[in-house]
Amino acid sequence: MKRSAPLAPSDGLIALAFAAAYVALLLATAGDLGYARDEGFYFFAANRYGAWFQALLDAPRAALDPQSVDAAWSVNHEHPGLIKSLFALSNLVLQKRLGLFAVEGTSYRFPAMVLSGVGVALVYLWGTQARDRLAGASAAALFAMLPRYFYQAHLACFDAPIVTVWALCAYAYWRSLRDGGALWPVLTGVAFGLALDTKHNSWFLPIVCVSHAVGMEVRDRIVARASAAGAAPAASPARAGGARRPLAALAAMATIGPLVFYALWPWIWRDTLPRLREYASFHLNHEYYNMEFLGRNYWTPPMPRAYAPVMTAATVPLVTLCLFAAGLCAAARERLLHPLACAAARLAPEGGRLALAAERALAARLRPPADDPGGTALLWFLAIAAVYGAWFSPSTPIFGGTKHWMTAYPFIALFAGAAFSAAVRRARVGLRALLLARRGSGARAGVATRAAALARGPLVPALLGAAVIAAPIAETLHAHPWALSSYTPLVGGAPGAANLGLNRTFWGYTTGAVVAYLNEHVPPRGTVYIHDTAGPAWEMLLRDGRLRKDIRGVGAVAGADFALYHHEKHMLGQAYQAWVAFGTTSPDHIAGPDGVPVILVYRNRAR
Amino acid sequence: MIPAKPRETASAAGEATSARGRRRALGLLALLGLPALGVGELVAHVYFSERAPDFDAWREVAAPLAAMKQPGDLVVVAPGWADPAARRALGDELMPLRDAARPDESRYAAAVEISVLGQRAEELAGFREAARQERGPFVLRRLVNPSPARVVYDFVDNVAPASADVRVTDPPAACRWNPRARIAAGGLGGNPTFPAERFECPGGPFFNVGVTVIADEEFRPRRCIWSHPPKDGEIVTRFRGVPLGSVIRGHAGMYWMIERERRGAPVTLSVRVDGEAVGEATHADGDGWAVFEFPLGAHAGAAEAEVEFAVRSADYTHRHYCFEADTR
Repeated sequence: MKRSAPLAPSDGLIALAFAAAYVALLLATAGDLGYARDEGFYFFAANRYGAWFQALLDAPRAALDPQSVDAAWSVNHEHPGLIKSLFALSNLVLQKRLGLFAVEGTSYRFPAMVLSGVGVALVYLWGTQARDRLAGASAAALFAMLPRYFYQAHLACFDAPIVTVWALCAYAYWRSLRDGGALWPVLTGVAFGLALDTKHNSWFLPIVCVSHAVGMEVRDRIVARASAAGAAPAASPARAGGARRPLAALAAMATIGPLVFYALWPWIWRDTLPRLREYASFHLNHEYYNMEFLGRNYWTPPMPRAYAPVMTAATVPLVTLCLFAAGLCAAARERLLHPLACAAARLAPEGGRLALAAERALAARLRPPADDPGGTALLWFLAIAAVYGAWFSPSTPIFGGTKHWMTAYPFIALFAGAAFSAAVRRARVGLRALLLARRGSGARAGVATRAAALARGPLVPALLGAAVIAAPIAETLHAHPWALSSYTPLVGGAPGAANLGLNRTFWGYTTGAVVAYLNEHVPPRGTVYIHDTAGPAWEMLLRDGRLRKDIRGVGAVAGADFALYHHEKHMLGQAYQAWVAFGTTSPDHIAGPDGVPVILVYRNRAR
Repeated sequence: MIPAKPRETASAAGEATSARGRRRALGLLALLGLPALGVGELVAHVYFSERAPDFDAWREVAAPLAAMKQPGDLVVVAPGWADPAARRALGDELMPLRDAARPDESRYAAAVEISVLGQRAEELAGFREAARQERGPFVLRRLVNPSPARVVYDFVDNVAPASADVRVTDPPAACRWNPRARIAAGGLGGNPTFPAERFECPGGPFFNVGVTVIADEEFRPRRCIWSHPPKDGEIVTRFRGVPLGSVIRGHAGMYWMIERERRGAPVTLSVRVDGEAVGEATHADGDGWAVFEFPLGAHAGAAEAEVEFAVRSADYTHRHYCFEADTR
């Protein structure tokens, strides 16, 4: 991160364009995506909160009565209320009053879509400021075109929103360090409060920010002492604001954050501490759900430590991962080498061991990196490390798959964007060298000069950009609406992942992929065993009109006309229930990506 | 001493040249390597997404399979995850429940393996290839079992009043055969399906004897005789007029979601032939789909015998016990 670029007005417009394009894409592709299990629960909760908001408008005093508050907000109180409130308000205002959406379900999903668009825009802005516009644009595009993130960005859930709000808090903290003043620390505190009110992933934010502040301080001290001792060239001027800026941001997180959290979650307005304890306890002692990994069904600790890295490698496009690795290595070389050499030089006694003396000499030769008061690379790295770190514990549940570490993805994309920008610069050098070599070997000088000008122009970034983003776009769009079943070519795509025994789906959302079949084949007032689809998620398909309104969802296969089976290894018994009840092992309909069965529909032939 | 200035200058010039070379190499790497990586991933994505046959393509194997398969042959799909596509295309006639939820492969004289993506069925590893045919993305191989068991009588096929009856012992009561019982299935996380044809015992719907399918420790289907032990005494299934081989062999297990908790009491299966105990198998939680085999001694080869399977447990809570057996 060699420089911090100021934003131009056009950057705001570009960011807006990124956000708008992403939201438009999400809206355009939402129609064939079924409703995930958790969405069903959040629809229900949002409706209760919506009723309370309506009551607040109609009779504020009664609505604010503690019993009324508790009655509404105790629903789904294992998660904070902010995002569900947005779902509720979107449904109340944008759908029921303005009728903006073709189907009701989209009105609940819309706030998360907008927040996802904001996330993409934020990645663009941060990448542009930390590096340059090319880095920002490529980071935003690579982030937007992560197949699993793209899926989550559609949903009326908290997983995509927390990615944005998490990154927003980290960004505000970074701006606090870089710019100083009072505004950004205050915004850091507010953003942290919003993150607390979005999802419990926010609990990792203080770890990241405190570690970062400590890391920056340690680095400064090492370099300053080495410089004073003459073991290294003078470092860049002392970090602007010293330790005051991070302290201001951290203080804001500690004070403003909880206030915002409290203000926006009515369930904790009463019995605050016991309820917070209950909330924390729910997540700290969360039950273990089943998850297949490499052919084995995990349902109780110890969980596999390789889960997060392997699943990341299997689901994030390879080109994005390679660029991330290159960006991380470049940043480490640029930012770590100098302080490490300085530290080694400090430890090396006069006439000490050869290796340390060599380090001392290296420290004396190394130039300090460019000034970066925001400690950008360290912050991005810690944001990734803190999130992934949790999954190295064998007691961390692995259900939920990739969504639980998606908060690291903006930072992976930012490193990738920085690497892409550096690669373009290097490619220009390479192209010039190639062309000069051609000129030297007899090519016409005019042609070579014109070609060298081409190397400086937009052609190189455009071609490289197209080559880099093509696979992520293809994979992301191809994955829809099967994103939880999609895997990258690194593991052989969806069929390769099935061979390896990687989880094929969860959450029962793939019912959306068989509505056309059900509408055509289920008899009038017929019944369908809905398996893993949550009742409210099924109801939303009916309310949307995507499913015929006379089709009835039932909770057991016995007596049903049709039975759904969403494939998960530990749920195979559900398919066997249908075999015995319907007297057949032959599904009437199958759907899934690339020839891999994900959802089966069994037909009761006795009906 | 005169400082070696010319040497230093030469060294600096060399370093600069080397740095330029490195920059050029990195430049070329970025210029060519990055597009190669991106385009390579795109090509790989297209390749892998089109590699497996789509669901309708499985109908192509029906004709070659019918030509290759002989009566009694097992049909196996490799990889296993493609099995539903084959079952949809080929139907129950070629892939009946009895085979799909088989106890193991030991009784089959031969199997036809339908393979895609170069996969092989591990369970047929010891079988010998007798015929092979390729059809598009499919490879069909007829594999012969080098030592198939000859099953004389399969108890699971005979859970019906014509050949069996069921009783509980404490208090003694007969279990009534109901050919049109209300099918019951536990739904998400619940019990396996209780079929329409079953013996119904006192104590509620869980106390019945009928043929169902459970999921074993690998969640594979296992067709078996549901035999939940009663609170007290035994639940006894008696088969009459059974021709005997030299052993009674079988498997027992519980719906794995129950068994894996390892909180339940052991369940004991006693096998009696013409009133004489020939063996007992005690199933502890965690055993999974476990095999048992009892030599029949003097009863071996009898043309007609009465065979009883009695199931009991010290604590009947959540004992979703299910067994299969044959004599061979």
